[in-house]
Amino acid sequence: MADPLSAAAAERELFGDEDFEDLSPSSDQLNSINLGSDDGIPLDSENSTTADLLEGSGIRNLELEDEQMDNETKDLFIVVDNPEKHVTTMESYITFKITTKTTRCDFDNHEYSVRRRYNDFLWLRQRLEETQPSHLIPPLPEKHSLRRLDRFSPEFLKNREKALQKFMSRLEDHPVLSFNEHLKVFLTAKQFEFQAYKKQGSGFISRTADSLRNLSASYMMKNRSPEFTMLQEYIQTFGEKLGTMDRIQQRLVKEQMEYVTELNEIGPVFTLWSNSEDELSTALTAVAHSIETCCNAVQESVLTHLGQGLSLEHISETEGEFGQSLKEYILYVEAVKAVLRRRDAMQMEYELAAEELQKKKDEKEAKTDLSELAKEVERLNDRTVCADSDLKADMERWHKFKRKDFRDLFIKMADKQISFYEKSLKAWEDAIPLIQNTEQETKKEED
Amino acid sequence: MADEGENEVYSQDIMVDSKEEGEALPKSEPKKNLLKWMEITLSEPERRVGISMKMQETYMVYLIETKITDETVEGYGDPPTSIWRRYSEFEMLRNYLEVMYPFVVVPPLPEKKATFTWQKSTTDKFDPEFIERRRVGLENFVLRVASHPLMSQDELFRDFLKQEEGWREKLIETGYQAKGDSKLRTLSASYRIKKPDSRFEEMKSYSNELQSHIGNVLKIRAKLCDRLYAYHKVNANYGRVFSEWSALEKEMADGLQSAGHFVDVYASSIDALLEDEEQFADQLKEYYAFCDAVRNVCRRQELAQLNMEKAEENLTYKRNQRDQLAEGKTSGLSLTGLKSKLFGGDTAEQREEKLKVLDEQIKEAEAQVKTQTEEAREFVKDALQDLERFQRQKVKDLKESFTNYALFQIERCKKGIEVWQKTRECFEKM
Repeated sequence: MADPLSAAAAERELFGDEDFEDLSPSSDQLNSINLGSDDGIPLDSENSTTADLLEGSGIRNLELEDEQMDNETKDLFIVVDNPEKHVTTMESYITFKITTKTTRCDFDNHEYSVRRRYNDFLWLRQRLEETQPSHLIPPLPEKHSLRRLDRFSPEFLKNREKALQKFMSRLEDHPVLSFNEHLKVFLTAKQFEFQAYKKQGSGFISRTADSLRNLSASYMMKNRSPEFTMLQEYIQTFGEKLGTMDRIQQRLVKEQMEYVTELNEIGPVFTLWSNSEDELSTALTAVAHSIETCCNAVQESVLTHLGQGLSLEHISETEGEFGQSLKEYILYVEAVKAVLRRRDAMQMEYELAAEELQKKKDEKEAKTDLSELAKEVERLNDRTVCADSDLKADMERWHKFKRKDFRDLFIKMADKQISFYEKSLKAWEDAIPLIQNTEQETKKEED
Repeated sequence: MADEGENEVYSQDIMVDSKEEGEALPKSEPKKNLLKWMEITLSEPERRVGISMKMQETYMVYLIETKITDETVEGYGDPPTSIWRRYSEFEMLRNYLEVMYPFVVVPPLPEKKATFTWQKSTTDKFDPEFIERRRVGLENFVLRVASHPLMSQDELFRDFLKQEEGWREKLIETGYQAKGDSKLRTLSASYRIKKPDSRFEEMKSYSNELQSHIGNVLKIRAKLCDRLYAYHKVNANYGRVFSEWSALEKEMADGLQSAGHFVDVYASSIDALLEDEEQFADQLKEYYAFCDAVRNVCRRQELAQLNMEKAEENLTYKRNQRDQLAEGKTSGLSLTGLKSKLFGGDTAEQREEKLKVLDEQIKEAEAQVKTQTEEAREFVKDALQDLERFQRQKVKDLKESFTNYALFQIERCKKGIEVWQKTRECFEKM
């Protein structure tokens, strides 16, 4: 396992070489991921019979990350697209094409193209959490749940593609995570190499993390900096607000759809009515026409809210663009909580060691032992300090792009409303002369 | 001729124009349209408590004020009159008009109970909004009657506007209640007439169609109101979340807070907007009720037709009787002739007497046919004229209603654009 050039390398050194040797790679972890997933047992894509190309893969979400935060010299570009269904005798699953363009010198080529399935993304995220425990790891979309759409439906895949793209974009922008070795392998390795690499596994940190997590239940931290307590409180409340907003937007879509249903019914009534009138016929047709235009405007508005390429029947089941962005942040809440737990665990480990050292000093026993322990305490202290600053930096970045994301999202929401109202306004303004037009005709007749 | 009345605009907004027009008319012009020389307003609904049949009842009264605006009319310069009327008196007046002017499409009264309601519609009769809408409806009724070429000339209608004391008694004295056709009679007429008038048949089916179209529009519109209302109110939750969320944030706080405020404004704007839109519903409801009035005219035409046909039948019957009697006289071998001979039938004198009576009856029946035919013809003529007037009025009114509806939609869109632009500005500052 080659160390990356980045800060991640320094990060790992904190754990000491012995950690790498002591803990043998565990394959249990890997298996559990694969078996636990809904995508089933992984198979090489070579064996699979590639099925239908899925529609709408041309739409990329590069524009999402057009504006870089503070990274002017961007040298890594990742695009997730082109979902493809694979059908084997054992299972059916979807892979996405991942195209990487880079000028980084630790990559041998400038361009890579691989196919990865959702499980592979899960694997990557797990590795990132293990190797970069002090960092906020962007969330992945949730596993397919049965309540929702068919997992091979274009709507579902479109949403998943977008969410995976978002995940990769978050990684490529990250000053540390983008240099992660596992990420590099994920982006570049050929299928068989990647499978082999996955089997090596590691899982050493997660074990430590597990044991520490158990500790946290019984152990109260003494010196946690208040800012992390505040962060924890913040993220909790933030999550609640997002949950509420998610429910509101779902409800709004539902209300709008029901509104459209009624509008769709009232238009034809005016048309029908116009058939039994002479002079009023034009006016009634004009009203019917305006209603139809409004109807289309609402539908369009709902569709842009939910994303392109959707059919109306699926609207109620689909997460829209707005909903998806919300979902990402709802998942971020869990990611922040997880990194906080990892941070706490590190501090805890340090505090326990320091306590033990103090105890032993007090007991004044076995003076030879203490230098080793003191060294360990110091190492753990350093690690905690580094983790704190990593997390602080990550949260700062997160707050920044969160602010931008929500600003953009809300502006889009307002624009959508404005555009809907403008279209309806025009429809009704156009209708007025038509409604009144017949009046002049009658007057002419009378004259 | 329903000459001037035809083109009169009854609805309030345009009434002002027609009044001015009226003032410009030469003084010799017959004052068939009351509104041309009189200003009528209905205002200040007031709650009253009275005792009726030993029961305490609460009801609303409305102030009717009139003022003569044409100096050539007698009473010009007199102080304006003002009296109170309650809904049941409007009902009496309307029933009276239906009886006295059977060929006229008598304008309907505003609905007694709220129909085609949605979640925010009030069912309380004393709700200020309901009362105000009823006031508008009653005023509209009075103005429509006042601008009708015939009904506006009615003495009891004029008294209704000015004479509080003794009006009820005077109205009852006319015996209009007895003259009224029983529903049952009119209902059966349509099945019994032999030669229905296709023009009225058409009108009847048209009014049925119109009523069902308007009914559908009103029904769906109520549902649309529910949806729109719910949509806006759900948005109010955003307002609340934004404001709560802003408490958590630093840089975003101000933007969120003020955006939340505008989302709240958006959410609450719908109340007034939909309240305004009720006007459109009321205008449609008026025509929904007008359909009944049209059908009443058609029914009364059927009745007139039936009366005429009955008179004709009677005449034919009498004539047959007479023919038979006359025949019996000449052909002595007929059965009746034989019978009368066997059982001591009529003598020649008796037969002569009978024939005389029959001739008399035939004359009467002929006169009856003549009057009934004349009446029916008059009725058809008058009714067709009034229906034509109604149709023109309807086109004008509904066009105006649709224009109003479009204007309400425009207003709603403009409000929406305005508030979302403001909200957008807040988001931009985030």
